[in-house]
Parts: sequence; structure tokens; C-alpha cells
Amino acid sequence: MTNKKNITMAENAEYGVDSRYKSDKERESDATVLMEARLIRMKNLSKDQIIRAKLLQLKLKMEEYLKNPVYDNRNYFSEFLESYVDTIYSKRSVFAKDIDIAPVSLSQVINNHREPNEDFIRRLMIHSEMAFKNVCEFHEKTWYQVYFQEKICDTMSSQEKWRPEIEKHVRLSESIKK
Amino acid sequence: MTIVDTSTGKKYPVEILPVESEDFNSLGKVRYFFDWRIERNQEVYKLQMTGSSDILGLVSMERIPNEWRIHIRLLSVSKENKGNGKKYDKIAGNLITHVAKIAVLQFGELACVSLKPKSEIAQHYIDKYNMNVTGMALSIEVPEILDLINLYDHD
Repeated sequence: MTNKKNITMAENAEYGVDSRYKSDKERESDATVLMEARLIRMKNLSKDQIIRAKLLQLKLKMEEYLKNPVYDNRNYFSEFLESYVDTIYSKRSVFAKDIDIAPVSLSQVINNHREPNEDFIRRLMIHSEMAFKNVCEFHEKTWYQVYFQEKICDTMSSQEKWRPEIEKHVRLSESIKK
Repeated sequence: MTIVDTSTGKKYPVEILPVESEDFNSLGKVRYFFDWRIERNQEVYKLQMTGSSDILGLVSMERIPNEWRIHIRLLSVSKENKGNGKKYDKIAGNLITHVAKIAVLQFGELACVSLKPKSEIAQHYIDKYNMNVTGMALSIEVPEILDLINLYDHD
């Protein structure tokens, strides 16, 4: 009878799982035991496993930014680039060499002192294809999307600054009736 | 993310979205095992086939940032998708993966998703989702959590 009941429960294992803690005591006890076991498992993580996790996190952050663009003063392209390079390389100059650009150019892009040019983004795109190949799906257009999304956000959020001057140069000479 | 029609093997894209307050009125015990209104103040997600508003599964969760962990509170597929006669497969897997993605997004290499099912069904989660057993709880962390995401998270 018990066996039959267990088989039925296993068949319905995804229908109605109540995993809530019944008391604070249970929650605390579980948290302690779980953390102890996790710390041991974390110590055994390889460098590659950590890099894979960080790259997946970066990809998810980029996707999140594309889904919910943020209109603020942060430079997301540069931040994601910095995170990407520092996750994979211990020295940024080695990444610069790998995509055949001057280390100073990379530094300027990361520090928002210059815009990435077309060649830079294309090389970054190809580099990411290689880096993410054994990690997770990574759409080749992602870096471009982040770059242009940020341009849109910056332009839209800074209209007070640029609009008065630009408006002086724009008029509609042909009338368009309703 | 996709679910699979068990009778034809055909895959259908799905989306997982936060449950909206008006949804709760239709999330009763008969089809979803729990009266999900009890989770009204929690973070709850619903799974739907893309283009459809019919809810095929639900999960509620609690973020525990100081432990780099997300705990699954309630999880259920809809009644017609339970057991051997289910219409669609991979609903629960997609919901757990959604929680796993939030955990990795928030906590990176320290990410953890925990679950505490009844002991009779724990083995199902150990076998199917490669969860670790720690005391009475199940959990999934790096590296297994990355494999789970890669298995389910496809266009």
C-alpha cells in the first residue's frame, strides 16, 4: 500500500510541491547545514567552472539590460566589457593583444574616454563567439544591441542638454494637414 | 525555452512572467493544487505558451541574498500536466530553470537554488535536475546549475 502510494506521489512529483519553511527554527537549521555543505563544494570549484558561471551571469545581465533598459548616467557597454575582459583574463593587455588593438585603446573604451569603433565591436563579437562557445548560447548581436540601446537611452534621457541647440537647425517648411 | 507536447513530440515556445494581481483569482486548488492567493505577497511566476494566456505552471520563490540563495516555496504544474498522462512535458523544468537564471544573474558563481520537497518525491528532483542532498533540503549550485540552464534555456 505504502509502495503504491509512493509510486503515485513520484508520478505527481511536479504537481503541488510545498517547500515552504514551517518555522524560523527549521529555516535557520536548514540555512546552517546548507551553507556548511555549500562552502565545502565552493572550495572545490575549478577556475574554469567559476569563469563559466561569471560569463553566464554577464550574459544574463546583458539580456536583462536589453529587456529593461536603464536611463541613467552609467555606461553599461563599458561596464559589461570590463566584466567580460576581467573574467577571462588576468591582464587586460593580453585581451588587447588577442583582438589586435593597442592596450591604451582598450583602456580608453573601458574608462569611457573614447567610443568603441566599428572594428572594435566586430572583433569583440568574434571573440565572444569563441569565449562563449563552450559556456552557453550567446547571440552574436548582443554587444551591438547593448551599444545601441545605450545610445538610445543616453540620447533620450539627455534631451534637455542637446535639444535647444539642435532645434535651432530644424524646421518643417512643408505643412502637413491633419 | 520550450515545452513538449507528449502526444506529438512537437515543441512550443513558452514565456515565464511575473503573476499579476488579477491572475490570482483564477489560480485555485482545483487546477493548480494550491490556492495561490496565499502567495499574493511573494515573488510568483507563471509559465504560458507564447501567445497564450493559459497558465500551465507556477512557482513562488524567496530571495535570500545573505546566503546567495533562492528558495523555492511552492511549485506546481496545472492538473492536466501531472503524472504519466500529462499533456505537456518540461513545465516544471522550465520553472526551476527560470529561478536558477535569477539566482545566477544575482549571485554569479555563488548562486544556489534550494527546495524542500516531501521525502517521497525528493528522488525525482535528485534524478531529473541533478540536485544535491543536504540534510533534508535539496539544492543546485555551480556547476550543476549551469548545466540545468543550458539544458532548458534555448530559443
